[in-house]
Amino acid sequence: MKKMRWLAMLLALVMVAAACGSDGDSGDTADGGDTGSESTDSGDSGDSGDSGDSGDTEEVDVAQSGDLTFHMITHSEDGPFWSVVKRGMEAACSDLGVECVWMPGFNDANQMVQDIEGALAEGSSGIAASLPDPTALVPVLQGAVGQGVPVVTLNSGANDYQEIGALTHVGQTEFIAGQAAGERFNAAGATHVLCGQQEQNNVGLTERCAGLEDTFSGTVTTDFMDLDADTTAQQAAINAAMAADESIDGFLGVGPVITMSGVRAAGDLGRDVIVGGFDLTPELLGAIEGGDVLFTVDQQQYLQGYLPILQLFLFQTNSNTIGGGQPILTGPGFVTADNAASVLALSEAGTR
Amino acid sequence: MADQHLLELDNISKFYGNIIALKGVSTVVNAGEVTCVLGDNGAGKSTFIKILAGVHQQSEGTIRLNGEEVMFNSPRDALSAGIATVYQDLAMVPLMSVWRNFFLGAEPTKRLGPFKWIDQSTAKQIAKEEMAKMGIDIRDTEQAVGTLSGGERQSVAIARAGYFGAKVLILDEPTSALGVKQSGVVLKRIVEARNQGLAVIFITHNPRHAYPVGNRFLILNRGQSMGSFAKEDITIDELTQLMAGGAELEALEHELAAATGNGNGD
Amino acid sequence: MTDVSAVDANSATANDAGEADERLAYRSIFQRLFIRPEIGAIIGAIGVWTFFWAVSLNFGTTGGTQNWLDSASTLGIMAVAVSMLMIGGEFDLSSGANTGAMGILFILLIRETGELGGLGASIWIAVPLSFAFAMAVGFFNGWMVEKTALPSFIVTLATFFILKGAKLGLAKLIVGQISVTFTNDAHGYAFWQRIFAAEWERNSHVWNGRDLFYIGMFLVGTILITLSVCEMHFVRRSEPKPAGLGLFGLGMAGFVASIVLFHTTDGVGANFVAAAVLAVSVVVAMVGFGQWRYEPVAAAGGLRLNAGITNYLVAGLVSIGIAVACAFAIDSANSETLFFPFTVQGLRAVLIMVFVGVGFMLAMVAANRALSVNPITKGAVSTVIAAALAGFAFVVRASSEAAKFRTELFSVLLLCALALFAWAVLGTRFEERRRTDASADRLGTRGLLLGVALLVFAVIIRHLFVTDAELEAGVNPAKFSVRMLWFFGFTAVMVWILGNTRFGSWTFAVGGNKEASRQVGVPAARTKTQLFMIVSGAAWLVGMLLAFRLNSLQASAGDGEEFEFIIAAVVGGTLLTGGYGTALGGAIGAAIMAMSAVGIASARWNSDWRFVFLGVILLLAVISNRAIRDRADSARR
Repeated sequence: MKKMRWLAMLLALVMVAAACGSDGDSGDTADGGDTGSESTDSGDSGDSGDSGDSGDTEEVDVAQSGDLTFHMITHSEDGPFWSVVKRGMEAACSDLGVECVWMPGFNDANQMVQDIEGALAEGSSGIAASLPDPTALVPVLQGAVGQGVPVVTLNSGANDYQEIGALTHVGQTEFIAGQAAGERFNAAGATHVLCGQQEQNNVGLTERCAGLEDTFSGTVTTDFMDLDADTTAQQAAINAAMAADESIDGFLGVGPVITMSGVRAAGDLGRDVIVGGFDLTPELLGAIEGGDVLFTVDQQQYLQGYLPILQLFLFQTNSNTIGGGQPILTGPGFVTADNAASVLALSEAGTR
Repeated sequence: MADQHLLELDNISKFYGNIIALKGVSTVVNAGEVTCVLGDNGAGKSTFIKILAGVHQQSEGTIRLNGEEVMFNSPRDALSAGIATVYQDLAMVPLMSVWRNFFLGAEPTKRLGPFKWIDQSTAKQIAKEEMAKMGIDIRDTEQAVGTLSGGERQSVAIARAGYFGAKVLILDEPTSALGVKQSGVVLKRIVEARNQGLAVIFITHNPRHAYPVGNRFLILNRGQSMGSFAKEDITIDELTQLMAGGAELEALEHELAAATGNGNGD
Repeated sequence: MTDVSAVDANSATANDAGEADERLAYRSIFQRLFIRPEIGAIIGAIGVWTFFWAVSLNFGTTGGTQNWLDSASTLGIMAVAVSMLMIGGEFDLSSGANTGAMGILFILLIRETGELGGLGASIWIAVPLSFAFAMAVGFFNGWMVEKTALPSFIVTLATFFILKGAKLGLAKLIVGQISVTFTNDAHGYAFWQRIFAAEWERNSHVWNGRDLFYIGMFLVGTILITLSVCEMHFVRRSEPKPAGLGLFGLGMAGFVASIVLFHTTDGVGANFVAAAVLAVSVVVAMVGFGQWRYEPVAAAGGLRLNAGITNYLVAGLVSIGIAVACAFAIDSANSETLFFPFTVQGLRAVLIMVFVGVGFMLAMVAANRALSVNPITKGAVSTVIAAALAGFAFVVRASSEAAKFRTELFSVLLLCALALFAWAVLGTRFEERRRTDASADRLGTRGLLLGVALLVFAVIIRHLFVTDAELEAGVNPAKFSVRMLWFFGFTAVMVWILGNTRFGSWTFAVGGNKEASRQVGVPAARTKTQLFMIVSGAAWLVGMLLAFRLNSLQASAGDGEEFEFIIAAVVGGTLLTGGYGTALGGAIGAAIMAMSAVGIASARWNSDWRFVFLGVILLLAVISNRAIRDRADSARR
């Protein structure tokens, strides 16, 4: 298996090099090749991507789906979260036999707009996009719908997908997820929860803490606790915040890395703190199994990669829409000690 | 004493392609004497010192060191033969202390097993003594070189060259960037170095600086040697005349006189 | 003093020997201390520490100390290495990503070596292999910078992207995850875990004699420092006078007696007596020591104040008065948030510190001016300042409830006042040095360093051990990690290398004037390449420390940290343009940054304002460094 991956990587590299002047899209597609057989496919698409609009008709391997190419434009590819979304998308595309292009925007709305325009220019059969910045992205997506290209929003955008005219929205409402976490802390008997954030300007993370505050019966202190890139400083900040207030008996990390920092900080202080987290990593699941963490909110992001493609596919081939105009919620699901072991196996495989 | 000259230059020429940078220059350099190389800008002074310092090699002619013919293929060759050059821009690090600058690149070390460190007390003491020999009392060798005056900096460079075994000391325009007083300081150092038995080659375009300290004068003009004179054979006015190419200066004087009404060359 | 006779008659004049004397005016021990490049950072660190100690509950406790020191450790190791590189005139933008890359490479090697050799994963192989790779990265950086002659900013930016991408790419390719994990069943885990992640559990190390040892060590250190400063400040007698030694012994006996009295009584009256005995005996001991060793002052003169002195003194006292007014006027118990990050308490602390700081600075200027009049005037001004300090100590005691103010700060302020007073007395009786005395300076420096080492040792002992009384009171646990030892050790080695080896000298040279150092035979390319390798080696060390701490690493670990390293170096007094700075400064800069981050969390401030605070600290650090450097230059002229 490992040998195959190396081979695929090598092959993909050669393909990319061969397609001189290849743009980012073809490179990304080639990168998506997970198994040996697929890498050949993606290599072909790399070539066709270069030949522009007419290239789509030259696909050789698509049996059922004709010439569909879907574009997924997201605002990030870093972190344990988006790599799973990407896998979901890849799985959907290989299951359905369609071409998919993964375009991460690196938290840059301007680049996302350009990517969407680029996808339209290539004659995209459907666009799935996340909406971190609705003001910038809604007009260009409305334009896509106006051109007759179906749009699905994912991850963030629950409030704006209808305005765009998108088929549906696939994601989790952060506020509802936070509310669910608050109920869990109530049930566990916590009185004062520290809600630690790993980014300062992220609306989604703030919503999670706001949801917690909404349902939690005790006190909530919300604060920024340094970036994931510097876990040492992150742990030190949580440690200091906990030490400064003896009444803190709960910690909610709104990401997996900061949740683990919270576990270590509580351990250093020798305090018995109820820890809850967001999203999944193998370490976090291990900590849930070991009893250090009570639960983690799982928004099943695999679905956020898989379902938009499925919706676009069904719309294009059969004019179906799912959800009846309502957003499709992928979470909150919870992972606790009961199901951690089975999820852990899946997480290590990279699909949870 | 003068049977054999320390350094003898015979008919040195340097061509860059078809450009003649230096043509047929000869002079001798003796220990305990100051040989001044005079010339206006573009006279070939810098080509001359670069040949002596091993940066360039002469196209024609021979250099004899202690009577033996030598060829300097690199600055390191010249340095190991005892010819040290103090360039105009000075090899000094302004933010570093005097003693560190003095020993830079050749620090005395102590060692214990695999560990080697600078012998600071020895280094500071030697730097202080050597500076004292030059007539400068540096009480605190920790002082940064950047805080020294231009003349003092030249002095550190000269003392360093002397300490590291130079027999011939080449000074490239040491006074050109200095004021009157500071130039005086440097000229005094040149005399100190000479009195310690070094052969000094003093490159300058200022005959007023050269004449008081020099024992021998080599005058260059447009790559040509205008002659090499012992001090007793020449006056400062003649020196000035020769430097500018004699006749040319006279012509210039007349021109200036005509232009301003009261010409007063010199 | 100069042998002018050798000068040739026809040489130009200008007696520069006399000129040099004026220029090289003698610098006293205090002036010399004040122009060290790291002094700004040290003062800043003390200020930041005092500030957070005052405004937060836990910052000054062992737990808080452990917390910020731990955070400073990994940052500090990098900041020291980056300081050296910056002194050498280069930058390394790949240093942040490199820390994470080394950790990830290490973990991947552990996972992969087993599959290659079939022997099971081995840390014994992964450690040297990853270190070799770190050296290769450093060498590559240095070599590229030298070969291309491009600014290191550009070259290492490229390395940064390569490392950042390789981390993510390799992690996903080999593990299929963006975080890599290793288990503790690899060969050699127990050994290497101890090397990189051993921990000292404070609460399981009880030593009831700790405080006695701590106080004793502290006193010995303080005495040693005081005497060493005297040694470097006063003119040594040609013939020591043994009678003074007797007086010194008497004073010391009184000193010890007062300490014993303090220790055995709790009554206010007895404490007062003990304090009085302490004060008198300290002055007696110091005067005795002086009589034994130092030249009495020739002419003490009479009290002569001029406008320059009184103006500064009065301004200083007024400023201290305002601080006192703040202390009483602002309700210390009120912890309401006043406006943005400050609570009422925080604001009060800030106001008091600013006014007291400014007040004493002004007063010290007055004392400095008085020195140029005569010793008696200086002594009188210093005594007034000491009295003000003592008065302020009582104000602190009266206006606050917390024990740390009422006892700890109170005693520290009183002791400072006492030291200042004793110093003032000594200044009127003994001759201050105006000339260099190398042997006395050497002795004094050694004593000073030993004294500081004892103080540090005393503080370390206090934090490492716990007493039964503390355990009963329910002290928070604190785990000291071996990371701190790595940090201290690495800093010490680098400070030594920079100050005492040829490589260290060459580092300053290539950063200060590369062409010049080349001309005198310094191997500039080699020196710079070695500097890049030191940074990469430090990144490897940090990578190991992170890997063993977390047993897993994110692909993004360390990205963007490079600027924190550079900021720490700059805060520590390293010049951005190269050629000037210290390794110790980098370590202190890192400590300041870690203290700020932890302190803000500890003081429960709104962390939205955290970067404002960091920005202000950075600005203050750079401005004060600039001022100190200018002062250093002018003091030397």
